[in-house]
Amino acid sequence: MRLGNLKSTPEVISVVVLFVLACLSLLTLNYLVAPPKVLFGRSLTAIPPSLFPAIVISMLAILCAIWLTILARHKNETASEPGISEGVFRALALFAIMTFYALAMTPLGFLISTVISLSAISWLVGNRSIWQIAALSIVSPIALYLVATRLLAVSLPELSPIEFAYSRILGG
Amino acid sequence: MIEQFITGFGMAMRLDTFLLMSAGLLGGMLVGALPGFTTLMAMAILLPISFFLDPIVGIPFLLGVYKGGIFGGSIPAILVSMPGTGAAVATSRDGFQLTKKGQSRKALDIALFSSVFGDTTSDIFTIMMIFPIAFLVMQFGPPELFAVLLMSLVIIAVTSGSSPIKSLIMMTFGLWLSFVGTDPLGGVERFTFGLFDLKSGIPLLPMLIGVFAIPEIVTAVMRHNSVLKLASLVGERLSLAELKRCMRTICRSTAIGAAIGIVPGLGQVVAAMMGYAAAKNASDHPETFGEGEIEGVAAAEAANNAVNGPTLVPLLTLGIPGDNVTAILLGAFVAQGLRPGPELFETQGATVFAILVAMVFANLLFLVIGYLSIPFFSKLVTIKTSLLIPIVIMFAFAGAYVFRSDSVDLIMLVVFGIFGLVARAAKFDVMPMVMGFILGPPMEYAFGQTIAMSNDDMIGFMLGERQAFLALLIATPIVGYLIWRRLSKVDTN
Repeated sequence: MRLGNLKSTPEVISVVVLFVLACLSLLTLNYLVAPPKVLFGRSLTAIPPSLFPAIVISMLAILCAIWLTILARHKNETASEPGISEGVFRALALFAIMTFYALAMTPLGFLISTVISLSAISWLVGNRSIWQIAALSIVSPIALYLVATRLLAVSLPELSPIEFAYSRILGG
Repeated sequence: MIEQFITGFGMAMRLDTFLLMSAGLLGGMLVGALPGFTTLMAMAILLPISFFLDPIVGIPFLLGVYKGGIFGGSIPAILVSMPGTGAAVATSRDGFQLTKKGQSRKALDIALFSSVFGDTTSDIFTIMMIFPIAFLVMQFGPPELFAVLLMSLVIIAVTSGSSPIKSLIMMTFGLWLSFVGTDPLGGVERFTFGLFDLKSGIPLLPMLIGVFAIPEIVTAVMRHNSVLKLASLVGERLSLAELKRCMRTICRSTAIGAAIGIVPGLGQVVAAMMGYAAAKNASDHPETFGEGEIEGVAAAEAANNAVNGPTLVPLLTLGIPGDNVTAILLGAFVAQGLRPGPELFETQGATVFAILVAMVFANLLFLVIGYLSIPFFSKLVTIKTSLLIPIVIMFAFAGAYVFRSDSVDLIMLVVFGIFGLVARAAKFDVMPMVMGFILGPPMEYAFGQTIAMSNDDMIGFMLGERQAFLALLIATPIVGYLIWRRLSKVDTN
């Protein structure tokens, strides 16, 4: 696929997306920025809240346009990095696991979500020893949970029965 | 100043500061020595730990990670020609050749001594320079501050990445992201799309971990490097005569590194390359450089470590992080209630000096710990990444969560991780974006105040009262262009 004289490389697509976003934002700036607070008919601030964003977003649109023009003039010779194009499946799978981890941490609690996610990640990165996976996925979250909650006194999300069990065992 | 320094010196003399600093040094060396793992990743992930420690303990801990990581990165560079950081690329040229000649122990010893010398000297220079610079900065009004922030952003943009325009695109995008949330001048909502979670803006910590650590992890998973061939630590130790022979080079590189460190955006890679080039130019036997010349390792290591101290000067006096590591340090300072800028020296001068004094002592610890632990860390080069990646991800998620205890931050982490990876695939440097995001609010604030001060007569205002502001605005593109040209020449060489 080609965009005019430009090949649709990740670089070109990213700049086009930013350009379109910048143009759309400039057109809809009045909806994206709330009106300034007014007291007795006068604005409370020296500059309207949309002035600086308008300058910056205009700059972004201009820079994107300049870059696309430069790329279009010079033949687009950008080659993808060999390491990046390989293993896309593994990267997608890792992001799927991380998304699950992010979404599951609050409802399932830190320990359960971490055990599931770490096991899946260990398998994904090529560890095939069940014992190693089990040890890593169970011991490390428990150790981190104890360090965080007992030593650093910070909270990690956890289900009430598990927190209760911890308190019973550790007497906290 | 002297009083604040003495008070700060006393404040730094704490056992827990030294213990945590040692832990940071070991942690940094550990991560730096693992091929594929970077100091930046370690700092981003360990940043939340510093929030729960006293500033005089937490920030030196991170500084320890930083210093240890820079040296740790030179271990795989020397042993297996796999530089852990950009700064170690120059080290690997001669370091790996020395390993091939069976002199890896000597190469690691000179790397350690030059690192410690460069770092300590530049830290002392920082302590002497930081107060006069802060005093000068205190004379700045909003117009001058705006102009300096703009100049810093332009310098950062032209010095990072392959193309200044691409870096400027990322910088303006970072500024745009900083608008999300509440306007710093009028308190009205911008770009929140009515979402409650965006009212307080985009959180810095998940962004830092997301754009710096997650892409590194994903790239390691994509490349699927599990184990490296066994690297060996062999040969004689460094002799005193060899160290004496390198001292001229080490001192020259330290001066180069310290000067580069003050300028935001240039950083260790440029310092290491310039230090190496200067040593080669000054040498009586330049043909030996690249073939296993011990002075080559000394030049690169002294220069890249001499950046560490002076890079804190723009951070602490103006709140301008010079590179991605100092951006993470800025997060630590802000979380501790220490807002970098000229006022910091008025309100928390002793604390700042305590942190700087701790930095000097960290180097002495570094010398001892480094010297004793080189054999151990050399073995780490061969550790399996499949065991480390899951643990690093767990730390990243726990770290992103604990600061605000908000699950939205975890989503932000994944989103910025995807963004960082896309940026990497499209060959965009994320550093200007982070700088734009951090410097956006103070810049907008200074801009608003400047407009208010000008009373709708900006030209008269600049020509009359604020000639320094005008001079800085005019100098910005010129300085940016000159630095870009200079760096282009270094790259070509």
